[in-house]
Amino acid sequence: MMKNADTVENIVRSRRSLLEDLPTRKCYKKEEEGGCGVTGFASSIPVRGKHIFEPSRQMHNRGNGLGGGIAAMGLDPDMLDVSRGILEDDYMLQIAVLEQGVMGDLEKRFIEPYFKVDLNERLPHVQDFRDIPGLAIKPPNIWRYFVRVKPPVLQEFKERNNLLQLTERQAEDEFVFQNSFKINKTYYDVLGNQSAFVLSHGRNFFILKIVGYAEQVVQYYQLEDFKAHIWIAHQRYPTKGRVWHPAGAHPFIGLNEALVHNGDFANYYSVVEYLRQRNIYPLFLTDTEVSALLFDLYSRIYGYPPEYVIEALAPTMERDFDQLPPERQRIYRAIQATHIHGSPDGPWFFIIARNDTVNRRFQLIGITDTSMLRPQVFALHDGEVQVGLVCSEKQAIDATLKSLSQEDSRIGSIADRYWNARGGSHTDGGAFIFNLDEIPSIAAERRLTCVDKFGEPIKAPQGDVQYPIYHGADDGPGSQVTISRFFNHQQPELLYEYLTNKARDWAYNSLIDPFEEIKRWAFRNDAYFEVALGTLTKLLDLRYPTYDKRRRTILQMVHEALEGMFRHFPYLDAQENGTYRLIDWETRQLLRGPIRNEKVMIVDSSLFPPEGNDGDSRLIAEAYHRGWTQFIVFGLKGQRFHGCGLGPHTGAVRIDIYGSSGDYLGSGIDGLSIYVHGNAQDQVGQIMKSGKMVIYGDTGQTFMYGAKGGEVYVMGNAAGRPLINAVGKPRVLINGTCLDYLAESFMAGDPLNGGGFVVLNGVEFDDSGQVRPQPTPYPGSNLFSLASGGAIYVRDPFGQVDEEQLNGGEIVSLQQRDWLLILPYLKENEKLFGISIEKDLLTVNGGQMSPLRVYRKVRPKENEVEPTGLGE
Amino acid sequence: MVTVPSRFRNPIGKYRLHRTDECLGCGKCVAICPHGVHVKIGHVMTKNHYRCVGPDCPNPCYKTCPAGALSLKRNPTFDTLGDLRWTPDLLVSTWCMAETGDVPPGGLEYRIGESVGGFDRLRLVLPPSHRNESAPPDEEVDVGIELNRRDDTSHRVRIEVPFYGAGMSYGSISIMAMLSRVRAAAALGTFCCTGEGGYPDELKPYDDHVITQVATGLFGVREETIQRVSIVEFKYAQGAKPGLGGHLLGDKVTPAVAHMREAVVGYPLFSPFPFHSVYSVEDHKKHIDWIKAINPTAVISVKVSTPTDVDMVAVGSYYAGAHIIHLDGSYGGTGAAPDIAKKNIAMPIEYAVPMVHRFLQEEGVREKMTVIASGGIRTPHDVAKIIALGADGVCTGTAELVALECVRCHNCESGRGCARGIATTDPELTRLIDLDWGTQRIINLFSAWKKELVRIVGRLGMKSVTELVGRTDCLVHLDYMKSKRGHRG
Repeated sequence: MMKNADTVENIVRSRRSLLEDLPTRKCYKKEEEGGCGVTGFASSIPVRGKHIFEPSRQMHNRGNGLGGGIAAMGLDPDMLDVSRGILEDDYMLQIAVLEQGVMGDLEKRFIEPYFKVDLNERLPHVQDFRDIPGLAIKPPNIWRYFVRVKPPVLQEFKERNNLLQLTERQAEDEFVFQNSFKINKTYYDVLGNQSAFVLSHGRNFFILKIVGYAEQVVQYYQLEDFKAHIWIAHQRYPTKGRVWHPAGAHPFIGLNEALVHNGDFANYYSVVEYLRQRNIYPLFLTDTEVSALLFDLYSRIYGYPPEYVIEALAPTMERDFDQLPPERQRIYRAIQATHIHGSPDGPWFFIIARNDTVNRRFQLIGITDTSMLRPQVFALHDGEVQVGLVCSEKQAIDATLKSLSQEDSRIGSIADRYWNARGGSHTDGGAFIFNLDEIPSIAAERRLTCVDKFGEPIKAPQGDVQYPIYHGADDGPGSQVTISRFFNHQQPELLYEYLTNKARDWAYNSLIDPFEEIKRWAFRNDAYFEVALGTLTKLLDLRYPTYDKRRRTILQMVHEALEGMFRHFPYLDAQENGTYRLIDWETRQLLRGPIRNEKVMIVDSSLFPPEGNDGDSRLIAEAYHRGWTQFIVFGLKGQRFHGCGLGPHTGAVRIDIYGSSGDYLGSGIDGLSIYVHGNAQDQVGQIMKSGKMVIYGDTGQTFMYGAKGGEVYVMGNAAGRPLINAVGKPRVLINGTCLDYLAESFMAGDPLNGGGFVVLNGVEFDDSGQVRPQPTPYPGSNLFSLASGGAIYVRDPFGQVDEEQLNGGEIVSLQQRDWLLILPYLKENEKLFGISIEKDLLTVNGGQMSPLRVYRKVRPKENEVEPTGLGE
Repeated sequence: MVTVPSRFRNPIGKYRLHRTDECLGCGKCVAICPHGVHVKIGHVMTKNHYRCVGPDCPNPCYKTCPAGALSLKRNPTFDTLGDLRWTPDLLVSTWCMAETGDVPPGGLEYRIGESVGGFDRLRLVLPPSHRNESAPPDEEVDVGIELNRRDDTSHRVRIEVPFYGAGMSYGSISIMAMLSRVRAAAALGTFCCTGEGGYPDELKPYDDHVITQVATGLFGVREETIQRVSIVEFKYAQGAKPGLGGHLLGDKVTPAVAHMREAVVGYPLFSPFPFHSVYSVEDHKKHIDWIKAINPTAVISVKVSTPTDVDMVAVGSYYAGAHIIHLDGSYGGTGAAPDIAKKNIAMPIEYAVPMVHRFLQEEGVREKMTVIASGGIRTPHDVAKIIALGADGVCTGTAELVALECVRCHNCESGRGCARGIATTDPELTRLIDLDWGTQRIINLFSAWKKELVRIVGRLGMKSVTELVGRTDCLVHLDYMKSKRGHRG
């Protein structure tokens, strides 16, 4: 409920006295944030802290161990020794103690006079911090209080500050906020003495942070088994100052929210000034702190709904603003005029865990900046247990789900949906919110929904999700299956078709039988293995109807079958002949060149570090130099640089990737082929020179940045800045769309004369595997900006792409010779992904159209980019 | 030492001798001049005015001429050259070093310029040479430095002089200029950087002395060119144009340049300001890891301009795995940008270097990181000053081009604008420089610098240039000296 102006004014004024004794020193940033890794998930049932462990650990390379923190929200009252009533109504005041003996004074001055304490305790922790590997600095002791403000104190507070129009709860919230500020002011000085500080003080959540890695928080404070609905974590990479202070780590608080942040503000000082005009004075001198304060200001003091809070932080601009309906434009204009100086400028991505106490709901929110400069991935897993996830990298999402699924088989290891947000857009607003609402009469479970900034829901596909349990030999249609003929006749495509047809009739339990049998066939000999591999890979790659079953469950089954098959092969020290050899972390020293009829190296990446000389990508480069040319890589958990380091002239090499691949995949490749059987992450194909890349899914940020050539097919979407600064002759086909900045500064010559181009189809698969057009082939406002060469062929039968989205280019109609140029690539695209030229691409509204009317060409305007205006 | 005179008929010097008709042709001037200014070929004439050291001469010809036919004049052309930073004295001194391989014998101010800032307000405090008995002999003074000081498995790289050539792209300068620089670097036991325009094949024989630059436009960057070298330089920014990326104007994108960068002839080439894949320090670490994934033993240099938080950039680069932090200050040049970009915006290098030096010391990592400074290093005295302020070494840029007889006319960015055939890829203008001539000129320049640095280090009583690092006690800043009258000296 938005507050009226006078009330807001009174609250702001009430803080004046807090600032009177603060020195008037300039608020310059003491810490550089820059880098980090952020992750968070929300679950319909409370889950253990150990599940934030894996994604944090896998994002070590985004932090430097000098700051890590977690927040847990939606707690289990039994684990805290309080009643549910106290948990929901009391404030959990949690204080980090850095200096012994200070708490006596603190309690006397700031707790006893004002609060009714329902419970106080010291948090348990591991006895010796050095028992935790890598933890170098002793984390602070934590004192926790469940409190309410004493009614006479509250009444006096309201009267003194002219806040009688606030509700009791609103006044109490503000009192707690101000009291914590006083505590921090008194006991913590970033530049001086540090004896204690308030970690969190909201309801039904707490924050812990240390000088170390995020997962060490879980280990030290023994939270592995502690349950909560929402967990968020942050790995920090601070770059200034030798003595790190724990209060500088994330998350930061407003009142009822915990915020973590990846990025760096260019206008920190402006934001601080903005806050100071409202009597808010940051004490910890980091970007993140002011972000949390802004969020609290907008949502609690002003009472804005989430949509307006997001707009104030990440204003809708340019063409996206023009696309908004007039009513929204009016309101957004007002918001922008009021709050633009507080809007952070620079790369940033926030993850916020919020207790929306007014609506009795928990929220996990991800907001990205309007220039889309930080990576972000959202995911939704629906079913008996619902999970919403948001992370800096997709592999961290997969790691979280895998961890959860190992404990609770109702949770799968793959999400139903993965997507990116388009910052500051009119399409999704650059923000997504996972809401956890109460279910009447069930206390321990909530209902999870996902909406974008505008309240539009994101839904998972329909379908039953029970994960099948293998019962052994069973009576049922499955056990009658004979798939032997497909193996005997070496027909993986037919086996694939058989299975996808049968998917309609069979229940999961019946499906598992053919998978088990496929594995058994695969174990027998290499030829049968190849049939099995072909079939299972097709099940991963292609889209097909799954009827009443969930695609993600089928994918999970396929992955498990594949891993079983891959791990069955012998290591390099085996005596028997064989085409396939397995290598993993434990046996990596056995690396040698191929002998006899060895051809394919299967790399189990699961235990390899994500980068460096010991990484699996380095191993593959070494193996190539020893003579291996065919590689299958599986068990990936975000490891990076696959395909890098092999050098030029690698045309004979083929790499197949299964699992959660990491950043920089396929960068710099010159000749080789790489097939990604799933989604890819960021910086894929950077400076790629030649070769073939096929991605059976989406790809991430700065795809093919500075690429020089290559033939590339993407089944899904690209994110921000694909093909930026690319030159030479890359030929790329993107079936989906991108966030924005496609082919900026493209310099790829004349496509009709050996140069490069991008075909953008703007289509997607629906949940039954049918191809359909996306709402628009290109939603952004920076298409082909400043490009001086190359072209974009966009499938746009309704002429939705307009000149306003360009910057130095022009849209012309397709000529026959353009069509003949791109046709062979569309044919290959059809072969790879099953996207039919006739039925899917050239069919518009049920009827076939000429390609010259379906596709349009974006090309550079003649001499548009001469800089003669640039100041001679 | 190979003497390499100017390629032009009338080299410009500071002085001219005027000979009247009173000349007797006795040849006394020819005999007395140690620099060969006058010659006798049949009759006596003044041939090499430019070598005259002017009033510094201990035994001037114009005093010993029996007929009084000679008089010393200042060459009017001399005063039309240069500006306050690169004064005519500095230009001609550099030409002299490039010709003879040592500093000028007299008559020219080769140590400082006349600007009111930067190195021109700093002076080295050198004990007088005749009183310095403890100075080690020249042969015992080492001016080489280690570039990789981390304990890791990357190459150990030692250069024999405390400088290497800064990146100047193929496109901003000609292939002859590039090759001359690289070959000279090889002869002196140091390196030269390719700049962001790619790695021309002509450089291949000198792989061991080339630094590949990975700049924000990623032009010419291939795994191959990264694997060939032992040092890779990330160019995040350039001091001459902070906030802008590289910008090669259309008429410098000749067919050869377009081929090298795989772009379109005649269209301007922009490198973006940031690396689009690096918006955050963990992205920077990932970026460095990427280069190491291609070439695991490469030494990594990170070149940045000098914003106010350059110290944090330096330490962030250290933790991300870099070996060298290369600070490019605002006095630097550019051959490939429109005029509006050639302004001094970043922090002056003489402030940035001590800031970074001290900060890295406080972090406890100074010994593990090499600090290289560049941007306006004109003379070996500038080199010594910046090392005394806290750098380990420098990158050379404009000085090398001056050695090739650049006159600093500032016409670099237009395609056929370089009158000396240096900053051009026009095939006709490129032929103005002969490769052997160019190579030897820069070898001579570097040799002169090396000799002078040895003298400076020796006079300070040090045996190695590394002892000079951070020794601000060997410097005075004219603006901060207390004069008797209490105002700035």
